[in-house]
Amino acid sequence: MAQASSQNKQPKTFWNEKNREALAAYGFLAPFVFTIVIFFGYAFVRTIYYSFTDYDLFKTPNFVGLDNYKNILTEQLFNIALANTLLFSLIVTTLQTIGALVLAVVLNQKLRGMLFFRTAYYMPSITSSVVITLIFIWLFRPTGIFSFVLNWFGNHSSLILTFLVVGALLQAAQVMYDRSKGYPATAFDPAFLFTSVLVGLVITFILNALNIVRVGDLPAQPLNWIATREKFLGIIPYPLLVIIIQNTFTTIPTLMLFFLAGLQGVSKSLYEASSIDGATPQEQLRYITIPALRPVTFYVVTVGVIGTLQMFDQVSIFEGANAPLESTITLAFYVFKKAFDPSGLPKIGLATAGAIFLAVITTVMVMIQRRFVVSDTGS
Amino acid sequence: MQASTAVNLKPNLKADPNWLARRRWARAGWVYFMLILFSFVFIGPLLMGTISSLKTNPDEYPPRIFFEQLRPANWVSAFQLGTAGGGDGFLGGFRPGAKINFDVSYLVPQGITPTAPEVSVPKRRAGAGAGAFAATDYAADYAVLEPLKQTALVPANMPDGKPGQKVTYQITVNYPQNAKNLNDPTKPAPIMDRVPLDINSPNEHVYTSATLDPTRLERIFAPIASRPYPYPRVQSYDNLAPGVIGYVFRNYTRVFKETRSITTGQSLFFNWVINSFLFVILRIASTIVLASMAGYAMARLNFPFKNAFFVFVIFTMTVPGQVTFISNYLVLKDGIWGLSKLWGQQSLLNSIVGLWLIGLVGAGAVFLMKQFFETLPRELEESAKIDGASTTQTFWRVIMPLAGPALGALVITTAQGAWNEYFWALVVLANPQDIYTLPIGLNSFNRFYGSTGDYGLILAGAVFSALPVIILFIVFQRYFVEGVAFSGSKE
Amino acid sequence: MKQKYALLAAFGLLVAGAGSSLVSGQTGTTIVIGGRDGVTDTGLVNDLINKFLKPALAKDGIDVKYTPIGDYDKAIVNQLSAGTAPDVFYLPDNTAKGLVSSGKILPLNGLVSGTDFISSLNQTYTFGGKLYGIVKDFNTLATYYNKDLFDQAKVAYPNDKDDWNTFSDKLAKVQKALGTGYYGTCFPADYARFAAFAYGTGWKPTKKVTDPSFVRAFQFYTDLVKSKVAVQPSTISAGWGGDCIKSGKVATAFEGAWALGFLRDNAPNLQYGTSLIPLDPTTKRRGNLLFSVAWAINKGTKNTDAAVKVLNLLTSKAAQEYVLENGLALPSRKSLQANAYFKKSGAEPQANNTVFRGASSGNVVAFNQPPVFTDAVNEALKSVMDGTSTVDEALKRAQGKIDQIK
Repeated sequence: MAQASSQNKQPKTFWNEKNREALAAYGFLAPFVFTIVIFFGYAFVRTIYYSFTDYDLFKTPNFVGLDNYKNILTEQLFNIALANTLLFSLIVTTLQTIGALVLAVVLNQKLRGMLFFRTAYYMPSITSSVVITLIFIWLFRPTGIFSFVLNWFGNHSSLILTFLVVGALLQAAQVMYDRSKGYPATAFDPAFLFTSVLVGLVITFILNALNIVRVGDLPAQPLNWIATREKFLGIIPYPLLVIIIQNTFTTIPTLMLFFLAGLQGVSKSLYEASSIDGATPQEQLRYITIPALRPVTFYVVTVGVIGTLQMFDQVSIFEGANAPLESTITLAFYVFKKAFDPSGLPKIGLATAGAIFLAVITTVMVMIQRRFVVSDTGS
Repeated sequence: MQASTAVNLKPNLKADPNWLARRRWARAGWVYFMLILFSFVFIGPLLMGTISSLKTNPDEYPPRIFFEQLRPANWVSAFQLGTAGGGDGFLGGFRPGAKINFDVSYLVPQGITPTAPEVSVPKRRAGAGAGAFAATDYAADYAVLEPLKQTALVPANMPDGKPGQKVTYQITVNYPQNAKNLNDPTKPAPIMDRVPLDINSPNEHVYTSATLDPTRLERIFAPIASRPYPYPRVQSYDNLAPGVIGYVFRNYTRVFKETRSITTGQSLFFNWVINSFLFVILRIASTIVLASMAGYAMARLNFPFKNAFFVFVIFTMTVPGQVTFISNYLVLKDGIWGLSKLWGQQSLLNSIVGLWLIGLVGAGAVFLMKQFFETLPRELEESAKIDGASTTQTFWRVIMPLAGPALGALVITTAQGAWNEYFWALVVLANPQDIYTLPIGLNSFNRFYGSTGDYGLILAGAVFSALPVIILFIVFQRYFVEGVAFSGSKE
Repeated sequence: MKQKYALLAAFGLLVAGAGSSLVSGQTGTTIVIGGRDGVTDTGLVNDLINKFLKPALAKDGIDVKYTPIGDYDKAIVNQLSAGTAPDVFYLPDNTAKGLVSSGKILPLNGLVSGTDFISSLNQTYTFGGKLYGIVKDFNTLATYYNKDLFDQAKVAYPNDKDDWNTFSDKLAKVQKALGTGYYGTCFPADYARFAAFAYGTGWKPTKKVTDPSFVRAFQFYTDLVKSKVAVQPSTISAGWGGDCIKSGKVATAFEGAWALGFLRDNAPNLQYGTSLIPLDPTTKRRGNLLFSVAWAINKGTKNTDAAVKVLNLLTSKAAQEYVLENGLALPSRKSLQANAYFKKSGAEPQANNTVFRGASSGNVVAFNQPPVFTDAVNEALKSVMDGTSTVDEALKRAQGKIDQIK
């Protein structure tokens, strides 16, 4: 930058306006370039280099060709990490995109007090991954609140079922009656739903008081979702499932804001025109809202894929809570684990090979979804 | 649902306005109901964590919503006991001249003579952290117990409904005014934070109540046929003179007091808070200046390889940090090729400066500013150029003063990101523990105390470290949302 | 432009200021001691330094600095590779092999005499005939029992003569007397507890896990869980044996002396006792695991003599006596076997005594198996205890994984 100003007085032939602007631009960019060249460019090149060596931080690296890549592909831990990563990425990206869209549509209404709800919903996104993960680990402990809630639902399932059946019957009766009089009542008519729920609750309460429907007395079944190797439905290890729930929970609010911004850009006249044509809200969502949000959806999915593929924090924190490594390990954590192998010397070669793999997967996934997933929906 | 409306809609277009209005109201009601339900889901975990962080044992089962620390009666007692301990009613303590009176009641079944419990002030370290080792004075060495007085004996029913008696004893703990300092006779008698107390109740004496609810009930005897209820043989207090804050925010005071640096003796948690603040301030300072400069160059200036550079930056944002961390770790290890020796640091590992340099300007921050600068009208620069201003002058004098809103969003998102930074902090900061930032400090809590199930300390630490961000969010909510909006509008 | 310079200058100052405030200089002969930042470790080592090292070293002009290291296993490797490791530091049993193979640890033969130390402890740190570490302290497993529960059930306390059968009989009686919610013992799916039983049969980690002796121990351990006399800690929301015994609902647990501090903090009034691990009824021998941490010297130390002096002081008889008498850790010197502390009454000295005796009673094996090995066994234990696979299947699978190592 100092250069730029002292050279200001040089002959104008070279020092024309275009070059001057370019030089100023380089000056402006210098610190940024310094950061990304050293901490990204150089680092990336070195990662590639190390992935072909047997470096362990102590000896001078020897070139070993593709050995590291061959080794990780046959290593069980790496394959588990790869499977976990893809599983995690797929599930969380899907859940958070849908959840964020739904929430944005709900919040995009002209009702009083909406600001409060937006603030409340954004809360999970602002706390650090450590704080929220520690709280989730605590919630999902064998004697945690989640275990308690699940047990409560188990014991009250008969009551809940009674309430649902009674409520549904009441609702059906009211809707039928109204339709017979010629009103356009829908199955989930909001006004009737109110009475159905209220009366349903009262009836359930009475049935319970009369001891016709009883609360179960299943003993507390401590849930073991953290320090376990078991898998949900035989596919998702339970600790990973907790991370999935936690991650979806914390990312939805941010992504919701993108959708909200997008929704506010959708022209009101489109909705008005379609209303006059007799479109239902569901039809409006399907034919107006979702297509209009396509660019935002693309962005949200991209951010989601990139974010989920590099999931690291939670795995590291779960490790401290005694979750088995195989049940949570992701590629990002595999790289870290191999580089700081506690049971021996650092395996930089394997770690960097894993890292390159991770970089390639990320790039490929982003490209794939850019090509197919989002651009084709709704067209 | 769709089918039914399609069928019914047309013939009923002139539907009863009351009927329609009722539906509108009901619908709004349901929307609010759903919104409130969602609020519980989204605030729930944090809220439950916050409430439970006050519990002695947040891992109890079944979890209670109302527990000792939330009982106003205990607040009053804790205040009075704190005052009686010679400290103040808020923070408690045990000073020379203290005289603490304390009642405890038992139910005694018929046929058993009420007997006074055995009371002792045990010599007990506070918790497991290094703070426990730093303590040299123990209340046990100074406290003097007076003989117990039986203050009441009334008929009462046992828990199983059988007749019995309720007996109350008064316990008095003194700290003589003229006590000598046992470690160093030249000094006055010490002031202590805590007075632990154990009450061993006699056989079949069922504890019912005390002036202050005990920290824990121990040696719980299982129910048997002749006595179908369990009862605890020991009522144990961590601190008989806690004061209100010491009682209600017990875990929070523990967070600061029990974790101490062995080298400096300072509170580790306090150090972590300071480190986190230092890091956040450094990050904000560098980001504001450098990201604006880079963002402006990318938004408005033309330079060779601009497009290639743009693609490269996008690429850096796509590739996870774990891909590049080994090299970065090694680069920091020798202080960026010895550069750090210029200011006397051999290595940038284990230093906040190292952590700061590794992400001096984030690509995301640059994009946010680029996004913003592109929205400014070009006429601004053109008129500045006519006035003869150079690009640099234009930037600092014309453009930056207009960047307020974007800078607000930038500061907030940067602060949030830096305060919560975990991965790079984990890589860069290993030891001593004094150098940790809050997130990795909290994770060390998790390793340390999680294995022994001491979730009180973990939750209190977590909630405390979330507080600054939550306050920041509530005050500057607008900027949080704008930050997201700016970075999201790039499509 | 000027403003920018000013900003940059301010920036530079900020960097320099922040940098210098976070770094401290070193002068003279300073020996840096590094230790794991643990619950009791930090305080203990600091105590030793102030009480024994500083006074003794002052006349030689040697200063001692202590740095507790968080996340020790990871940090020490990095520091050794970077040349920033302390001069004298912990060498944990489970990572000793890897660290020694880095060539950065000084062999102690000819520098330090290892003769007074318990020989099984020296063996743990001997590689290729060279001794690399002097054991700082060690632990074995003991049977902790809750006296109240045995008293209430009117069952005799466990003792050193119990074998698997008499021991599990006692547990079953306690469990029956106290009813649901109470258990005889906690058996985690953890090699570091289970192996004590496997070693009792004469099995060694060099043999296969499908070996009949191993299978017998495995069957005993998992059967007790299946019959609900024993419980996995996680089932009752306990993280480990200490939690189990603290809960007051489990009669016994197998832990080392590390449980003492935990119980002191979390269940200060618990009435407990300790006995040795039950004997295998067939071989009439008991097994145990040896957990230890040694002091080692950095090969790159600038002052080997001073470092050796420090190491000798840290493991001196006086230092170990002090540590023992304060109930902080167990000494590795044979000559301290007869120390008066071990004869004191009270749960803690008694427990320390049991743990100390555990090192020389029966088949004692150091705990330094690779994680892949222990994980394979842990998984087998877990799957059988949970009833998701049979003993044969589980062990065959585990052996398959173990065969993959190398």
